[in-house]
Amino acid sequence: MSILVESSDILPLVDVEVAFAVGSLKDPAGREGLAQLSGHLMRRGPRGLSQQRFEDRLASLGARISVQVSMRSTRVRATVLRRSLEPLLALLADMIWRPALRSSDFGKLKRQAQAGLIARLDDDEALGAICFREAIFGEHPYGRTLSGHADSLARIGVQDVESFYARNIAKGAFLVGVAGDVSDTEARALIASNFPSAKRAKHKDAMVPATRVRPGRHVVIVDKPERTQTQLFIGTLGARTRDRNLFPLIVSNTAFGGTFSGPLMQEVRAARGWSYGAYSRLLHAKQRDAWYMATAPAAEYSADCAALQLDLLERWVDRGIKMAQLKFAQRYLINSHCFDRDTPSKRLESRLDVELLGIPRRYVEKYDELVAGVSREEANDATRARISSRDLTIVVVATATEVAAAFERLPGVKSLEIVPFDRG
Amino acid sequence: MYLAAHNRLDPDWLRDQAHALMGAPEDLIERLNRGVRKRNARWTFLSERPFGDALRLRRFRLGNGLTVLTLVDRSAPTVSYHSWFRVGSRHERPGKTGLAHLFEHLMFNETRSHPPGDFDRLMEGAGAEANAATWTDWTYYYENAPRDALRLLIELESDRMANLVLRVPQVSSEKEVVANERKLRVDDDVEGKALELLYENAFRRHPYRWPTIGSMNDIRGFNVKDCREFYRTHYAPSNATIVIAGDFAESRALSLVQRNYGDLPGARVAQTRKPSKEPAQRAERVCQLAAPTPTEKLLVGYRAPSFLDADTPALVIANEVMFGGQSSRLHRLFCLDEEIALSVRGSISPFVDPGLFEMWIFLREGKTRAEALALLDREISRLGSEGPSEVELEKAISQLELSFLHSMETAGGKAEQIGFYEIVANDGAAVFERLAAYRDVSAADVKRAVAKYLRPSRRTRVEIERKPS
Repeated sequence: MSILVESSDILPLVDVEVAFAVGSLKDPAGREGLAQLSGHLMRRGPRGLSQQRFEDRLASLGARISVQVSMRSTRVRATVLRRSLEPLLALLADMIWRPALRSSDFGKLKRQAQAGLIARLDDDEALGAICFREAIFGEHPYGRTLSGHADSLARIGVQDVESFYARNIAKGAFLVGVAGDVSDTEARALIASNFPSAKRAKHKDAMVPATRVRPGRHVVIVDKPERTQTQLFIGTLGARTRDRNLFPLIVSNTAFGGTFSGPLMQEVRAARGWSYGAYSRLLHAKQRDAWYMATAPAAEYSADCAALQLDLLERWVDRGIKMAQLKFAQRYLINSHCFDRDTPSKRLESRLDVELLGIPRRYVEKYDELVAGVSREEANDATRARISSRDLTIVVVATATEVAAAFERLPGVKSLEIVPFDRG
Repeated sequence: MYLAAHNRLDPDWLRDQAHALMGAPEDLIERLNRGVRKRNARWTFLSERPFGDALRLRRFRLGNGLTVLTLVDRSAPTVSYHSWFRVGSRHERPGKTGLAHLFEHLMFNETRSHPPGDFDRLMEGAGAEANAATWTDWTYYYENAPRDALRLLIELESDRMANLVLRVPQVSSEKEVVANERKLRVDDDVEGKALELLYENAFRRHPYRWPTIGSMNDIRGFNVKDCREFYRTHYAPSNATIVIAGDFAESRALSLVQRNYGDLPGARVAQTRKPSKEPAQRAERVCQLAAPTPTEKLLVGYRAPSFLDADTPALVIANEVMFGGQSSRLHRLFCLDEEIALSVRGSISPFVDPGLFEMWIFLREGKTRAEALALLDREISRLGSEGPSEVELEKAISQLELSFLHSMETAGGKAEQIGFYEIVANDGAAVFERLAAYRDVSAADVKRAVAKYLRPSRRTRVEIERKPS
């Protein structure tokens, strides 16, 4: 067990995080959503304490606990008033290592998860983001949603959760992070007295095949009635965490669509007023994750907005960024970096990422140097090497009859598919 | 050290330390005013209040009426700069709704000294995050920046307070952006649409009845003249409060403010008419909303007292007891025991005038609004007749304290709290009194407040039903 501590006596508040390097990539095929259900069932409390008594106890202590599952991690996060740290740690340890995992709770939790999938249909932006990942990654594990889908949830039983828990949490290696109003010595002593110290099996990283780009430009319309406005995602594959040209690409993407002053926002919003937001995101993971632009134009000019974005993308990839844009992006990234570490919990989070996800330590410790060291040539080479303006996935949440013809006419479109928003 | 110092350090000693670090405010003012002839640029020191146990909140005023609050806190190398204006959608009139919000957008545009786009370029280049918010009673602009950027923040904020250029291209483009924002947040959003309907029906006279973002017709209809008039009327030093929080030298900051704002005229902001008092509601109002949504929802708004009313803390505790997290009564009942809803939510509008206690019930597929309403009524009635238990009171206070501390984690969080309390309660440090007021609430207070305010005759209900595809 590794313990990371970030002490600060600014506020009488402590954050505790227990992190496991296991996430939804461990979901068996056909049982997508298992990691998340397991984390959430564990969150319902330890043996010997009903869920209600567990919740009452947490609330009385002035504490909150959440379990967040990502593709590669399960993070149990607690935040507590300083005066209640000791009892909270005991309760937290009990919850993680002696979870009740009651089948009655499981039934309720599963029905809640199923209801959540239905309720999500109200959120067009979330719907677009999920459909975009499914469209770009297809059957690849990166295309799965953390919360699974109706069929996969239906297949999961409480035994699946018990065995997932036994394999990955009960015996798995974990990290503990503590941030806030507690000294390093005190934090270590408290963790040692509450948490098991036996040597544990290190998690084997899930084998993830390389992601593949689908040639050509493909449009998916997520058809939802009565949309006056659309959610538009245009993207392709992005970067690997350990790519040598990751930082040049981060700088280049920031110059293109990472700020309000970049060409994407200026052309879409400032010059035309077409969308409230307009940004580009570069995601990175063990295999190439996604790069995408997101905007929300009105239905009547959604296709025009897409055409403009395609044009901006081609110019960015073909011509690259100018020296002034490079310098601006570097200044922005370096100067605003203080907001990634202005609270103890943020500082802890970046240290946990290094330990848990294998993010190279220098990305955190030498961030400013890595950003400042990017040349214009490197930024533009990285953009050309990684971002394709030919092979693109275009997902739009819209009323299909309003936009389909115009999207079909976009340059280079090879296919257009219309899927109902509530297809499940 | 901040609140953690409680019970550990002597407050008088801390005050002395603060003066040693920051200087006595009277001496500071005397130094800054030396040789300054223009009345508008002369400082007055108004007050100093403890902000928690270890920080001091100071209030100053320039001759032109600009109020400045400073909170030096060196816990991170950042500074937050907030400019709060006492203008919001309540200061609009029918036919011109949404002007305060549109104006907030226009403030990021061109000034006589800076071409379009310069504001954001300079801010982002300095690593600053700049944004703004408008609601019923106020508008504020903020920057969270590395500490070295303070001079830039002061120069750009003072510039746009007086030198904004308002022309057709900017107004047209920004109207389109706001129209899109309205589609995003209201027209295509079930919750946004329901909230609009709720306030429109719950209020008949008071300006809280129209949405801050404005109606689409009004947004489309604004012209340059409207915007210029609004700017002249509401954007002046005497209608503004600046909050500076974080790692900065107070003396230098005040000197920069003096230099940059001191030339601005102390124009008196035209007194806006006091809004019409909302007549008492004597019967329940019900409206229906059919929307392309997968599940039904119920939104209920009870007429609630103003944020500063003596009854509000008791209602805040009632809200915690009913809706505060997974141990709350209604979460347990609706989401776990009966499995009627996926989630429930409650909040009290933090308005200067009486607002609403909003309650949301997000039903599960196949469950009906009638079932939900019957359960809601039963629980409210139980709370009104029995009150909360001691354990529930303890939970509510602990959770409010936790939320409060989280809101104070960053310089930006502190500045936001100070600005809000300064505008709504005329005292930026009153946030601590609020927490004390919550601690003073008894079970009997909650019982009385629930019985008084949460009566069906005082509520408006929006029933959201599924529209067949």
